[in-house]
Amino acid sequence: MDFNISLTSAAKPNELYDLIIIGGGPAGLTAGLYAARYKLKTLMIEKMAVSGGQLTSTEWVENYPGFPEPVLGQKLAQDMEKQAKLFGLEVITEEVTKVELAGNIKQVITPYAVWKAKAILISTGSSPRLLNVPGEKEYKGNGVSYCATCDGPLYPDKTIAVVGGGNTAFEESLFLAKYASKIYLIHRSDNYRAEKILQDRVNANPKIELMPFFEVVKIDFDNSEGRRLILNSNKTDDSVVPAQAGTHAVFNKELDSRLRGNDGLGDSVENEVILPVDGIFVFIGNDPNTKLFTGLLELENGYIITDRAHQTSVEGVWAAGDVQAKALRQVATAVGDGACAAYWINKYIEDWSE
Amino acid sequence: MLDDKIKQEVSKILATMNQPVTVELFTQEMECGYCKETHELLNDLVSVTDKIKLDVHSFEKHSAEVEKYQIEQLPAIVVMDEKDRGIRFYGIPAGYEFSSLLNALLMVSTGVVKLTNDTKAFLDYLQKPVNLKVFVTPTCPYCPPSVMLAHTLAFYSDRITAEMIELSEFPHLAVKYGVQGVPRTVINEKWFVEGAAPEAILLEKIKEAL
Repeated sequence: MDFNISLTSAAKPNELYDLIIIGGGPAGLTAGLYAARYKLKTLMIEKMAVSGGQLTSTEWVENYPGFPEPVLGQKLAQDMEKQAKLFGLEVITEEVTKVELAGNIKQVITPYAVWKAKAILISTGSSPRLLNVPGEKEYKGNGVSYCATCDGPLYPDKTIAVVGGGNTAFEESLFLAKYASKIYLIHRSDNYRAEKILQDRVNANPKIELMPFFEVVKIDFDNSEGRRLILNSNKTDDSVVPAQAGTHAVFNKELDSRLRGNDGLGDSVENEVILPVDGIFVFIGNDPNTKLFTGLLELENGYIITDRAHQTSVEGVWAAGDVQAKALRQVATAVGDGACAAYWINKYIEDWSE
Repeated sequence: MLDDKIKQEVSKILATMNQPVTVELFTQEMECGYCKETHELLNDLVSVTDKIKLDVHSFEKHSAEVEKYQIEQLPAIVVMDEKDRGIRFYGIPAGYEFSSLLNALLMVSTGVVKLTNDTKAFLDYLQKPVNLKVFVTPTCPYCPPSVMLAHTLAFYSDRITAEMIELSEFPHLAVKYGVQGVPRTVINEKWFVEGAAPEAILLEKIKEAL
């Protein structure tokens, strides 16, 4: 049995910090570790009581170097926090509502206090992207989930749909297969971005069925016949025989005929397909958490633009991790960003004067 | 229950307690998933501080206490000082919820609460009773903030009671309250907030429920 200890530090708002880190994922925690070792007076503000960001909602991390045996995301996050705190990083649980980035002394405002610092590091990461289909908002937290480690245990011997084609969708499907009896892995094409090794494992798992060329168009959970998804099969390739006149062609004919009611699993309404499920997990990518900084910093598709020193368009403000405009978003790249940003922040603090 | 390393860490944290705290544990020998483990966990805490007084009650034999504290499931933990603050844990506070337990002990002992002035002003004039049930799983990193917030409200206001409920131990409650995602805070049996709602949002919902 595991026992996690993450408690808020007793920080004081009237002090001037060298550095305030907003967001406690791997990038922020690494920057916090380095900054604390540079002896910068550093405060991390994390809205969740538990640091680690998205690391905490994944089960196993297999591609972080140094762990030939896969490491639990939650364990890795906890250890990163512990290590940074060991060197003096203060962590508090508050949600930032506003920032003042101009000038030599920056302000970070929460419902409880106004925090002040010479430099700011933004490591707010990204959040799961929504499907944006009818029924999603209504059933979020009630059958629609974005966190397998949170909600997986609520689906023992149930049927689940997982949406997505990347590493997260494949990894979390494998995790959910420990609880659920059946998983439909739905993706809009057959072009999966998940690493080959994960694809092989999913293919070998008898509980997981791939459904390429399907899109969820509606989460129909208040139907009198039970919870179900309305899917569109969107394969229009000429090489595939149309399932029937007037409908889209279907990639997986065998599956399609099953869904259309030939074996009682579901039935069809015009060119849509009905899939009865108990819940749906959505892993279709992420959107940056930059709402606080819109209009204050230069952004690119919502992500924060930085220079090679990870500094943003405003002097004294840095960004690291998923929230940055960059190519690859991984734990391994986030910790590198965090360490590098801390190095340049330390230089900045050395030259800083009021 | 706790290994030596964690015990050391806990010992350091609980050293900041100042006033004594009473922990009432309700257990039974048969048909209780984690009664034994919860008892061992609390014994571990008692072993590192003299500020915690642990009372153990048998659910079958101590019906007066069961009634007094309105215990509904087992194991049940009440964290209190000289008076009952309405703070309950149903199911073992393991995994991420261990932090919620430490948080409750520290809060009751030190009297330090973190609430905005708006919230305090509302609670000062609260007349009607409010019951908060926070449904969690031990592996949910987003759950402790909801539990800590509910317990803080209960500690501050005599009108509020707040329960952590570990869902995997009480699947019938998941069905009864239709919980399919955690955390979920149920207000007065009928209203709910899903996800780790910030203070202001939970307060809005409580106002709606009244």
